[in-house]
Amino acid sequence: MADRRRINGPPAGTRPPVYASLKESKTGVSERTLRQRQPTELRKFYLKTGMIPTASGSSYLEFAPSAALAAARSNPKSLIPPSSALKVACTVHGPKPLPRSVPFSPNLLLTTHVKFAPFAARKRKGHVRDTTERDLGVHLETALRGAIIAERWPKSGLDITLTIVEAEDDRWWGDAPDSHDASWGMLNVLAGCITAASAAIADAHIDCLDLVSGGVAALVSDDASTAPRLVLDVDPAEHRSIQSACVVAYMPARDEITELWLKGDSSRAALEKSDGRTGHEALIDGAVDAARGANTILTDAVRESIARSFAQV
Amino acid sequence: MNSLPSIAIPGQRLGSTATYFAGPGTHVHQNAVYASIAGPVVTDAAPPQTRSRPTLRVSRVTDTKHPSPSAATATTYKSKPRYNTLPAVDSIVLARVTRVQKRQATVSILVVLDESTSQPLDQSGAISDKEYMASLLTSAANPENHSNSDDLRFQALIRKEDVRAVEKDHVVMDEMFRVGDIVRGSVISLGDQSFYYITTARNDLGVFMARSEAGNMMFPVTWKEMRDPITGISESRKVARPF
Repeated sequence: MADRRRINGPPAGTRPPVYASLKESKTGVSERTLRQRQPTELRKFYLKTGMIPTASGSSYLEFAPSAALAAARSNPKSLIPPSSALKVACTVHGPKPLPRSVPFSPNLLLTTHVKFAPFAARKRKGHVRDTTERDLGVHLETALRGAIIAERWPKSGLDITLTIVEAEDDRWWGDAPDSHDASWGMLNVLAGCITAASAAIADAHIDCLDLVSGGVAALVSDDASTAPRLVLDVDPAEHRSIQSACVVAYMPARDEITELWLKGDSSRAALEKSDGRTGHEALIDGAVDAARGANTILTDAVRESIARSFAQV
Repeated sequence: MNSLPSIAIPGQRLGSTATYFAGPGTHVHQNAVYASIAGPVVTDAAPPQTRSRPTLRVSRVTDTKHPSPSAATATTYKSKPRYNTLPAVDSIVLARVTRVQKRQATVSILVVLDESTSQPLDQSGAISDKEYMASLLTSAANPENHSNSDDLRFQALIRKEDVRAVEKDHVVMDEMFRVGDIVRGSVISLGDQSFYYITTARNDLGVFMARSEAGNMMFPVTWKEMRDPITGISESRKVARPF
């Protein structure tokens, strides 16, 4: 939908022109960077709460840039960054009274908004919320609703707003969209949103069953001959083709999944012979493992937030 | 049973329901008490004659007498209250009068005083209501101060019959409250979709800060009268017992 109220930039105009000679150059500038991590090794990320003083709870999450991105920053050969790293800011407002039009509710009413900054992705985003943003908001709400103890907060509403400052790529920037292509980056964004929102809710002292964290696993095939293999915390820019991917919101203390989103075809997977699991079971287990890893950082961030509120005299 | 952690995070197991009751800030899952908010763990011992279990709770405010985990010296800290506690039945609230009608007065709740702050603390760290108000009204970090909209505050009603305990039939609302007064009240009901119900029918409840028509802060004279120190004119209010 066209946004008539503001003067917008061109919808896809911020990407520098890519010349064929650059893509096919032998200097190594535009090589696809391959995954350096082990299949079960997660990326590091930074998570801190209480960054926004006017909100009742807030958090900021940032993934460590990939090795290729760090190298490209220190020694730039091209204007185009080889990959992107997720950056999310989350604010929690409330519990606050419901507007007059809303009927009596004995529970906490949760509203989630996910908004991409216009410059967050390689393709420019508009100011009006588009379908992917709505979709992410709905998924996030399901993930959090299972964790919040809503009956402790009658007659009140909670607004959770996430701003994506930098999104994950859906594919390597040099690739043309192919038949396997989907918005794989969205899954990473959702996992980051879940972890960030959980930290912000804990910072706002809203009652929760557990700290819920997000994790992603994917079946990737780097060449066409072999069956796709399972990797945790996938960076879509590092792989030629992603067959299927899965994001979960997971509560480790009670071993419960509050949100599950599977995409793609998980029927073919290179698992060990002794492994009796099907492809999608392996995928979900992998995503849960990734979420467990994220939860260690989340726990530390919440502990830090409590220690800080003590230190304030 | 191993010892309790000093700081709990949501989802952390605190103890079995055989040894503890679950208090505020905790929940019960599969016969165990789990923390549901992050904060210091407090054990409230059961009254000695009842032979009951102690109650576990996770404190929402940073406790005044709790030493900082990082500080080497066990100094006491002045609490920095978080204002996100909801009004519940029997909680004491401070509210500003926004509208006075014949049968009721509308107020907007500024702060809910929870148990740890509504009763006087130890002598050194005691926070009086006035200090509370000062911190509430001046702090720039308080989101309430960035918006004049009453939509962000919980609204409440004081009905004519809830103003005082005696001579309920002869209450004239205009002589009890004026717009802008700060009232201490007790919540009697969560009410309907938009309003809580508050009573001031106790000696310690009622108007405790008010400005006269000349705009000066008044002091209480009797239980139904406040006086302007500059003009000397008295105005009638339902006055809260001054401490």
